[in-house]
Amino acid sequence: MKRSIAVLGAAAAISLVLAGCGGSSGSSEAASGPITLTLAGWSLSTTPEFKTLADGFHATNPDVTIQVKEYDATNYDTQMIADLAAGKGPDLYVQKNLKNFFTYQDGKQLLDVSDVAKGLPDTVKGLSNYQIDGKTYAIPYRGDSWVMYYNQALFDKAGVDYPDGSWTWDDYVSTSKELTTKLKAAKSKALGDYQHNWQSTTQGFALAQTPGADMQSGNFSYLKPYYERSLALQKAGAQVKIGDVTTNSLTYQAQFGKQQAAMMPMGTWYIATLLAQQTSGEADQFKWGIAPAPQFDATTAGTSKTPVTFGDPTALGINPKLDKSKVTAAKAFLGYIAGKQGAESLAKIGITPADSEAVADTFFELKGIPTDDLSKFAFATHDTKPENPVAKSTPALQNLLNELHTSVLSGSVTVDAAITKAQDQAKSQGLTK
Amino acid sequence: MTMLETPPAEVPLNLVKPRRPDRTPNRVGQVLRYIALGILISAVLLPFYWMVSSSLKMNNDVFTIPVKWYPDTVVWGNYVDIWQKSEMTTWLRNTLLLSVVVTFLQVLTGSFAAYGFAKVRFPGRDVLFLAYIATIAVPWQSYMIPQFVLFSKLKLTDTFWSIIALQAFSAFGVFLMKQFYETIPDDLIDAARIDGMNEYGIYRRIMLPLSVPALASLTLLTLVNTWNDYLGPLLYLRSPGLRTIQLGLKTFVSTYNAEYALIMTGSVLSVLPIAVIFLLGQRYFVEGIATTGLKG
Amino acid sequence: MATMPVARRSRGRLMSRNTVVGWSFLLPNFIGFGIFTFIPVGLLFYYAFTDWNVFTGAEWSGLDNFSRLLNDSSFWTALRNTFYYSIFHIPLTLGASLALALLLNRKMRGVAFFRTAAFFPYITSIVAIAQVWNMLFSPSFGPINEIIRAFGVDNPPGWTSSANWSMPAVIIVGVWREMGYYMLLILAGLQTVPAQLYEAARVDGANAWWQFRAVTLPGLRPTMFFVTVMLTIGSLKVFDLILVMTDGGPGQSTLVLTQYIYQKGFKEQEFGYASAISIVLFGICLAVTVVQFLVNKRKDA
Repeated sequence: MKRSIAVLGAAAAISLVLAGCGGSSGSSEAASGPITLTLAGWSLSTTPEFKTLADGFHATNPDVTIQVKEYDATNYDTQMIADLAAGKGPDLYVQKNLKNFFTYQDGKQLLDVSDVAKGLPDTVKGLSNYQIDGKTYAIPYRGDSWVMYYNQALFDKAGVDYPDGSWTWDDYVSTSKELTTKLKAAKSKALGDYQHNWQSTTQGFALAQTPGADMQSGNFSYLKPYYERSLALQKAGAQVKIGDVTTNSLTYQAQFGKQQAAMMPMGTWYIATLLAQQTSGEADQFKWGIAPAPQFDATTAGTSKTPVTFGDPTALGINPKLDKSKVTAAKAFLGYIAGKQGAESLAKIGITPADSEAVADTFFELKGIPTDDLSKFAFATHDTKPENPVAKSTPALQNLLNELHTSVLSGSVTVDAAITKAQDQAKSQGLTK
Repeated sequence: MTMLETPPAEVPLNLVKPRRPDRTPNRVGQVLRYIALGILISAVLLPFYWMVSSSLKMNNDVFTIPVKWYPDTVVWGNYVDIWQKSEMTTWLRNTLLLSVVVTFLQVLTGSFAAYGFAKVRFPGRDVLFLAYIATIAVPWQSYMIPQFVLFSKLKLTDTFWSIIALQAFSAFGVFLMKQFYETIPDDLIDAARIDGMNEYGIYRRIMLPLSVPALASLTLLTLVNTWNDYLGPLLYLRSPGLRTIQLGLKTFVSTYNAEYALIMTGSVLSVLPIAVIFLLGQRYFVEGIATTGLKG
Repeated sequence: MATMPVARRSRGRLMSRNTVVGWSFLLPNFIGFGIFTFIPVGLLFYYAFTDWNVFTGAEWSGLDNFSRLLNDSSFWTALRNTFYYSIFHIPLTLGASLALALLLNRKMRGVAFFRTAAFFPYITSIVAIAQVWNMLFSPSFGPINEIIRAFGVDNPPGWTSSANWSMPAVIIVGVWREMGYYMLLILAGLQTVPAQLYEAARVDGANAWWQFRAVTLPGLRPTMFFVTVMLTIGSLKVFDLILVMTDGGPGQSTLVLTQYIYQKGFKEQEFGYASAISIVLFGICLAVTVVQFLVNKRKDA
């Protein structure tokens, strides 16, 4: 048995040696000469944006190499929090959405980058969301917002007019019902619309569009009309029931891409996916377009106005543990990704940059993209509100509202009862006034 | 194994002979038993059937309304594609390496410690054992951050050592082996002690051979747990070259987020090695004692 | 009287020799276990009394976290659901795995196949399990409800998409998944039951049921004790199955304690509070385990 102890001791010793060699390279590089920065990314083989930006920057700044470190896409924040807590975070890391921005900023895990923000044009959207007390802590480079996708072939088949950009949600509901009836008559199995089972599909619009809606006020009644419409669509059979969406693990890509639904509210990130899937055969070949998201009422509806929608800007921040000698290079990279050059390179791979107005032409040169006027309008013109307010209570409120979402849509409780329950819980946990 | 040559005197070895029922076969009962088992097992295997049939479908046919239980046309392409689209070979190799090392350490240190807990009396033993069991009762999610910080101070994160350290010394193995050692009569050990065998000798020459079914169970369960562990590698491993099969499959899911046919192909491939090991090894759980030659 | 001190001294020497030997057996495991598990668990007990969000230092907050628990309705819901799951999951799994083990503990054609098949659910990836079972449970299109409808029930349950039926659905899958695992342990335990006890019982004219009660069950006691303790702790700590199947929903109908811990910790960055909930769960597990230990001890005596 002495042998086993010896083996163990050896294993421990080896582990120490190995860890010493294999550990991170440390951050004590010389101030001048080539600099290497690490950047957190995810799903590198299908998310080309990180490499595109890193290579693009390196081409103009040959001294600086950006090394992309891969994280898990769905557990990005869990892994990042663990790494930062252990002091092993990357030099540059992405704020996937605003929900966790407060955590990182409040935990002093983001460097003040106000000087970078000053040099950016006004057309870069979402910058103000990453500012706290007049200081900027991350620079947005992606600016997705929610629009409405529609299948022109199915509209033609049903003999229903295409959307004209003037819709409110009531128009959306009635058109969906009409489409469902007429498509059934035309012997098609497709339904009028598909709303994915994410809580943002309902709550994002409700918060962004309803005048005076405020998550932290403790009054969630602004959600009611949005849920009533979703329930009405489910009941009318114009939309798949949420129980079937979850139990059958329906994907929005297949629902719209395989022509199961004629309309679908979804973020602009889906444009690149749909184009790629139509090329690869994953999705059917059909003509489609995008329209502005349906509106709360007529005051913001129509192509002469600015439609209100939602979407979190994706931003990049700097880890304050970064070596002092690298700060200038890191800030230069932030300036690059939000600037015109960065935006152009993102638009070329189908990604909506934060400065989407500056590159709309590049974007609509993509192969297969709809180029009608309404699609262009929907892409370029919108007042995009953040999905969530930046506050300490946001993640907890989000979880409560998610419970409200699943219980209402599954028909377990009435809208009113669920709202009252969520309000009480939020209050008892001290999350709202 | 050496037991055969020098059985300690007057030890009722046949006490631990396996049960060998030799009732007269009842034809009807036999048939009914098979029918019951058949129904039960087909229900049990249904999800696995679905996994296999999905892996043979076109991707967008996997989730449909209503459900398609068999592919319209069998697509073998997924089994070719997955090797090109993923690092399946690396993942399998890493997982195999980790599983073998972890299982080896767990079985060795676990059974060793279990002997101390079960058959050696010393002060503080029971308290320490309770502390072992108590840690099983603590949910891992709650101490994984302190543990992660500790591991990174020890520079173990993003190395295989982190997973080995995490899995190889679990209280589970100690507990399992202790329970089995307690079924082995103390007389047997006392007799060996009187014969002048020391404790290490007793462990090696009496306990180990007698506990083959338990060792086999522990080996298999540790192997399966390490093989299927997802949260551990997720938290500790970052480098693509270190990915295990579960982590690889999961990144594959996030990367090709809607390619369910391929994901199911990966799942089938990830289950197969364990299934084969089980099929080959299952007789040791039941025939273990007989095969060590303790015929009495 | 004169021999007493000698005896005591030699017993003392035996004791200290035993201590050295005992520890030498424990040490290889204890080194790893102590460093990698004991220390972090110890830290957890400290964090439970602090306000800690991972990044900023932990601030001592005394019993604040625990008094906050008292008024947290989500915590009580999670606690209730944890018991709901355990109370059904433990006996059902125990019964199913014992039945399987007894059925398969004999020489018969194809026994290897049946044993492997019964173990299959445990080795199948949890992602696949969640997807398949959810499809089986699909309220409008799933085969389970189709069968129920065929028996003339007009309004079959909504299973995972209904607040009332989601927990039963999860329990069914939990039993299905784990019965093979415990079957394996019980099978191994059955091998330690002395064969001649059966022979003796048969000579006494005992029928199968009596043999089971008088021979099998007592012989299985150490194994069953282990299985019960592991199963109890496992049920109280159920996590991944519910996470992938229902994610606690609809509403809070399947929210269990471990999930609430994960939610408070990793989604809301309240690690201090999450640690306090862990302590409660730990206390419950420990109390149940100690009771099981005592019952086991009393039967031993």
